[in-house]
Amino acid sequence: MRPLRSDHLAAWSRTFAIQGSWNYSTLVGTGIAYAMLPLLRRIQAGDPVRLKESVARSMQPFNGHPYLCAMAVAALGRLEQEETDPQTIEKFRSALRGPLGTVGDRAVWGQWRPISALIGILAFSLGVGPMWCVAIFLVLYNSGHVAVRAWGYLKGWQAGLAVGGLLKRAWIERWAMRLWPFNIVLTGLVAVLLANMVVTQSDVPLSRSVLLVMGAICSLVAFRLPRKGGRAGAVLLALAPLLWLAGGLAG
Amino acid sequence: MTWSELYLGPGTWILAVLAGGIVGMDAVSWPQVMVSRPLVSATIGGALLGNPAAGMLTGALLEVLTLRHPPFGAAKYPDTGPAGLVAGASYAAAGGHAAGALLTAVAIGWGLGWVGAVTVQVRRRVNERIMSPAGELAADPALLEHRHRLAIWMDGLRGAVLVAAFLVPCVLTVTLAAGSPPSDLARYAIASLVLGLALSAGAAARSAAFGVRGWPLILAGAGVGVLLILGGLA
Repeated sequence: MRPLRSDHLAAWSRTFAIQGSWNYSTLVGTGIAYAMLPLLRRIQAGDPVRLKESVARSMQPFNGHPYLCAMAVAALGRLEQEETDPQTIEKFRSALRGPLGTVGDRAVWGQWRPISALIGILAFSLGVGPMWCVAIFLVLYNSGHVAVRAWGYLKGWQAGLAVGGLLKRAWIERWAMRLWPFNIVLTGLVAVLLANMVVTQSDVPLSRSVLLVMGAICSLVAFRLPRKGGRAGAVLLALAPLLWLAGGLAG
Repeated sequence: MTWSELYLGPGTWILAVLAGGIVGMDAVSWPQVMVSRPLVSATIGGALLGNPAAGMLTGALLEVLTLRHPPFGAAKYPDTGPAGLVAGASYAAAGGHAAGALLTAVAIGWGLGWVGAVTVQVRRRVNERIMSPAGELAADPALLEHRHRLAIWMDGLRGAVLVAAFLVPCVLTVTLAAGSPPSDLARYAIASLVLGLALSAGAAARSAAFGVRGWPLILAGAGVGVLLILGGLA
């Protein structure tokens, strides 16, 4: 039986909880099964044996970006409806894992989320109220988030097996390629503004120009050596309150 | 800020714990709308203690410091929801203006984020048990749904427990730090945070860049920042 619109809506809304039971054995596999259930119940209505087989297939290990897993849920649902043979479904699942993870990680975690957060922080640095800044971040980020989930689900259902080819030329990948320079400019901008806020608030005499030059050198070194630079940053972060308290105790 | 001025009553504590549950659940389990980012969770923490701006400053610093840790699959990364909430609430409770308190709150937020990361790993192992045996779950889809929802609730509980356990000790620690006056070492302490921020920003920028050729852009961004400061806009 063909799923109703309400079944699609239920399956799509369940993709928001797709990582709820993430574990080291099946990764997001059980979440995929959970999201597909409204579709599978309709497709296999009146046939508990086939429903059990479909659910068991859906629970197999799977991984991918959580937002783009909506595409997998819809595409796999489509294959179940078309009674595609289980071997083809398994091959399709395996082929989809890599691209769904890579494309989503690069575009959403790599670009969209940091850019949205940095714009929120930029607004705060420019004097916008904190609650407004939170709203700016959440509205901006989630407009992209919900759009990706909706697009993924829709295209997954429409394309079925052809969804892999669709991902290769997807707008989301092109956007990631276009956004990264903006992301880096924003990172530099926000770092300077935040540092200025901290120095101003501390009311401690400091040479801002020296700090700026040192900060620029540090950020370029960390850009070149991100792992070591990030670790050094964490060490300095931990050192800061210790220095402050040590000075207070000595005084 | 004196001890008598500090107000963290049972009502605030309960609200913070509930908020901890929500932001703890959001990062991975449901609904991933990013209220778990420190920018949001720390502001919520600050707002609960009456000073959202203090919370947001703490959260903004934590946000930049954690940008280089994207939540890729099975990777270990700081759990910023409960950590940001506790850090933001702590700095707000300490008055939201003492530099020593800010440095301490940010360091606490960072450290607590990694404590949260360990609890996330434990949760993943617990989920492995909850979601088995596979055959039983496939035979009974209602059981699969029940167990999946249970796993989500447990993630919320994890966040709530983190806030419940760490909020009061962290508020007390940061309030104590707020009472520590600036000394000769204060400038080094502030410089340490600023340079730590610069290093984290550089590392985060690299993780966003497609290759090493983007380094001039970070300087361009910093240049724009300097112009905004000199122009009195920030």
